[in-house]
Amino acid sequence: MSDDEQVLRVDKLGFAYTPERFAVRDLEFELKRGEVFGLLGRNGAGKTTTVRLLTTLLPPTEGTAYLFGKDLRKCGRAERARMGVVLQAESLDFVSVERNLTLYAFLWGVPREVAKSRAEEMLALFELDPMRKRKPWSLSGGERRRFQVARELMHPMELLFLDEPTVGLDALTRKRILEYLSKRAKDGLSIVFTTHILQEADQLCDRIGVMQNGRLRAHGPPAEIKRRYRGARTVEAGFERSLTPAEQADLVAILAREGEGFELIGFDRGELSFRARNAEDLVAEISRWAHPRDIDVERISVREATLEEAFVTLVSEDSAPPTGPGEALL
Amino acid sequence: MKLPPVLRLVARNFAANLDPITLLVMFGQPAFLIVILGTMFNQLIPSVGSSGSYIAFLVPGMIASQMITGAVLAGRVFWLDRRWAMVEQIFSGPFIRAEYLAALLVTALLFSLVGVGIMVLVALPLIGVPGLSAVELAVILGTIALGSLFFGGLLISIGSRIRSANLYFTIQSLLQYFLIFISTVYYPVSAKTPLALRAIVYANPLTYAADTVRDAFTHTFGSGDLLAGGILAGLAAAAFFLAVLGFRSLELGPVQ
Repeated sequence: MSDDEQVLRVDKLGFAYTPERFAVRDLEFELKRGEVFGLLGRNGAGKTTTVRLLTTLLPPTEGTAYLFGKDLRKCGRAERARMGVVLQAESLDFVSVERNLTLYAFLWGVPREVAKSRAEEMLALFELDPMRKRKPWSLSGGERRRFQVARELMHPMELLFLDEPTVGLDALTRKRILEYLSKRAKDGLSIVFTTHILQEADQLCDRIGVMQNGRLRAHGPPAEIKRRYRGARTVEAGFERSLTPAEQADLVAILAREGEGFELIGFDRGELSFRARNAEDLVAEISRWAHPRDIDVERISVREATLEEAFVTLVSEDSAPPTGPGEALL
Repeated sequence: MKLPPVLRLVARNFAANLDPITLLVMFGQPAFLIVILGTMFNQLIPSVGSSGSYIAFLVPGMIASQMITGAVLAGRVFWLDRRWAMVEQIFSGPFIRAEYLAALLVTALLFSLVGVGIMVLVALPLIGVPGLSAVELAVILGTIALGSLFFGGLLISIGSRIRSANLYFTIQSLLQYFLIFISTVYYPVSAKTPLALRAIVYANPLTYAADTVRDAFTHTFGSGDLLAGGILAGLAAAAFFLAVLGFRSLELGPVQ
């Protein structure tokens, strides 16, 4: 499989309980080999239904998707054998953690010796070694989640679906898992990943899709999503001298008139801070205002938006569902 | 060498889900009944038809009832898999629904055969070695296979339509006791048996299985048993069909 080969193409995919009540509608995105695609959205946005549709657990009621080039509706064992799935619901067998791993590998037809060494690797990687003899249901929530991911990685795969894999994990473990997944992606594993933790989507995903009310509101690289939906950003400017009250009032009036979503945070003579959606434009406006008055702007900074800020802007902009298949940003 | 998917699933059914205590209770209870109930009633009942002693009457019945034990254990595997989301996990892997269903039915049959083996071992010191011909042995095993398919299919079909563990296990326990007690496993049906009860007993497929196994033990296998085998085969096919329908419409997702 070449690097630019399409692993997954989603084509107007949808699932409706009744003709009036849909869970997912008009989904469109694609995934290439070694890419990580993150699905973001509020609770009930349709992320889990999307994963269930794409893993053939749920038949689509509209549209389709192509898994390894084959229509989802015709996909079966051969395609599923190339995929791994960590579902949101915890699943386990009534044997020890270690036996669960090797038993799952056996189900997938992994040779015994390979399974044993892989189990050791996973137990170490996911810090499950001290609890290898314990039954999974006796583990804590975070340990059980680690166990779920570790078990799925026991067999070879080309495409991995992870439905909120890091729920309940501490920051350090999350970092280790994300680093491991990132490494696997570099080795060619394609990943579809749902999460509520936007920071990790930003860290891991090549592209993300934001779902709202069952539809994809936007999808593209995290940087592009942040740029497009960053909302108001904070600007801090420092002047070489204190401004007079008249100068302060004049500057604020100009910024307020020009600034989309302008909000003054503080103005203490030589220090100005504000939030605005069109922060770059206002930075230029400050320079234009200062130059004819012979006031030097000593420093000026715009704090970049986080993905979380972009996400909040995006899902707050319009709670009504959009009509199209979502805006592709790149 | 990679085993076929059904065999991998069967091996997994045996390796996972079932704890030794459950197995001890499931197989220990009928063995205990053969020893205690058989010995105690042997003193009270001098002879039962062509079987001779009560214990010789009871053993084939308990052997036949192992098809229910096997079905109950397979139904339990299925329900635990649903409860702990392993059905979804397996269906998202390299398996198809038909293979999972087939694996459950094979599991029911194998558990039934394990139960039969245990009952025979327990009964040997009490009734001696039954001199069975190859045909009689085949009849017993064939009856157990058809019965396992029927009861297994029935329980899996019920389990696929219910979304509550409490309800499933209540229905399963009721069915288990109803089927075993209203059959000829523990006692014979004669002309003195009230007609209504006799009708219910003969509506119970376990009766046909118990009678056929018993006839094989007493070397009185005849045309009535062939008819019983035919009925059991028909019921097994119907239960299998119901299980297939249940699996086709099986709703995945959380259950209580």
